[in-house]
Amino acid sequence: MIRLAKLCALALAAIVFVATGATDTGRLPADQLAKAVRSDSISIPTPGELFAALGKSEKTNWSGQYRGPMPVTYRNRAQIALNLGGLIADGFIAVQAKDSQQVKNIGSDIIKLAKALGVSEHLLSRGKSINEFADNNEWDTLQEELEATQNEVKSSMQSHADQDLVILVTLGGWIRGTQVVTAAIMQNYDERSAKVLRQPALVRFMQSKINEVSPELRQEPLVKDVSEQLNGIEKAVSFPAGKTPAVDDVRKVNEAVTKVMTEIESKELPK
Amino acid sequence: MKRWLPIFLSILVLAASVAVRAETDAEVRARKDALDVAGAFSNDGFKIRDGHWCGVLKPHEHALVAVNLYAGNQYWFSTASAEPAKIAVSVYDESGKQVTTESYNNGEKAAAGFSPANSGQYLVSVDLVEGDGGSFCLVYSYK
Repeated sequence: MIRLAKLCALALAAIVFVATGATDTGRLPADQLAKAVRSDSISIPTPGELFAALGKSEKTNWSGQYRGPMPVTYRNRAQIALNLGGLIADGFIAVQAKDSQQVKNIGSDIIKLAKALGVSEHLLSRGKSINEFADNNEWDTLQEELEATQNEVKSSMQSHADQDLVILVTLGGWIRGTQVVTAAIMQNYDERSAKVLRQPALVRFMQSKINEVSPELRQEPLVKDVSEQLNGIEKAVSFPAGKTPAVDDVRKVNEAVTKVMTEIESKELPK
Repeated sequence: MKRWLPIFLSILVLAASVAVRAETDAEVRARKDALDVAGAFSNDGFKIRDGHWCGVLKPHEHALVAVNLYAGNQYWFSTASAEPAKIAVSVYDESGKQVTTESYNNGEKAAAGFSPANSGQYLVSVDLVEGDGGSFCLVYSYK
């Protein structure tokens, strides 16, 4: 009760300050822009943020974006990490669709894939929570739980000296999220939705993180292939500020990310 | 054996230096306070992103953190300092131009809110207005 009162007071204070606190305009010099901190934990948006932006401007058929069951028997660790990220994005789609059974199925697959990477110990309790929240239709809490699951997978990887795989989980999630969003926009195009696709700096940042992984991992055929294709994707999402992507632009992004996603899912790795 | 010892020690030191840095008590405190600020916006339907950035603010310096945002969403960037100070948050677009934000300032806690017209990269600046500096933490929420 005391906590609630504190929060209300803070919210009230915020409203008071909002009315008076508009900032003066200024400009940052280019050298400072270049020195800005960039980190996976805050600079890369989650699939949930992307879907939240899309969900406002149109009636999205989220369940129409499901894909068939994914094999959870991959052997290549880089491929498992990329697919794990994609699967977490699928979890966010099921939350948007408010489909409790689909959330539970995906939660179970996330645990299986995480187990293959040796990071499942802490995740078992997350899996149970996901099931409980899904049974109770607690969609906001489920979204938070999925975000927390994704972060727990990543921190577990860091503590197991699998730091290099973290960016692959993030990248897999972004590719799957972008595939879904572009498909949904193509089905029901509107300008406000299409604006979410402009993300050149984000793709550039993920590319730079991949360039920092160990040479052995970078030379793996799938990682090399995904990295090369990211250059094309960066161009496809580099719209000038203020320009709304047309249907054709959306289709090009969709084709580019679908091609990468197909390779990530494939049991046959590129040679 | 003696020849290998320095090499082994160098590797050990190198490994320790690249290991993930644990957060200090001050950063944990600052994060808790930043989450308290963000919690106030949750009443208005904002979801707190499960990610944060902690750093150190020095007098006459600001911390600049890059974020990638989506047009159509509304955002609040909430920050808190672990030590007594007056801090402020401002947001710049990818060209470095400051964007107009709603703001909340309360000593060592501050927040800035806005709705981007364009998707893309933005820079969140945490400024030390008064005080000797120290640890701070930044979180953000969206809806």
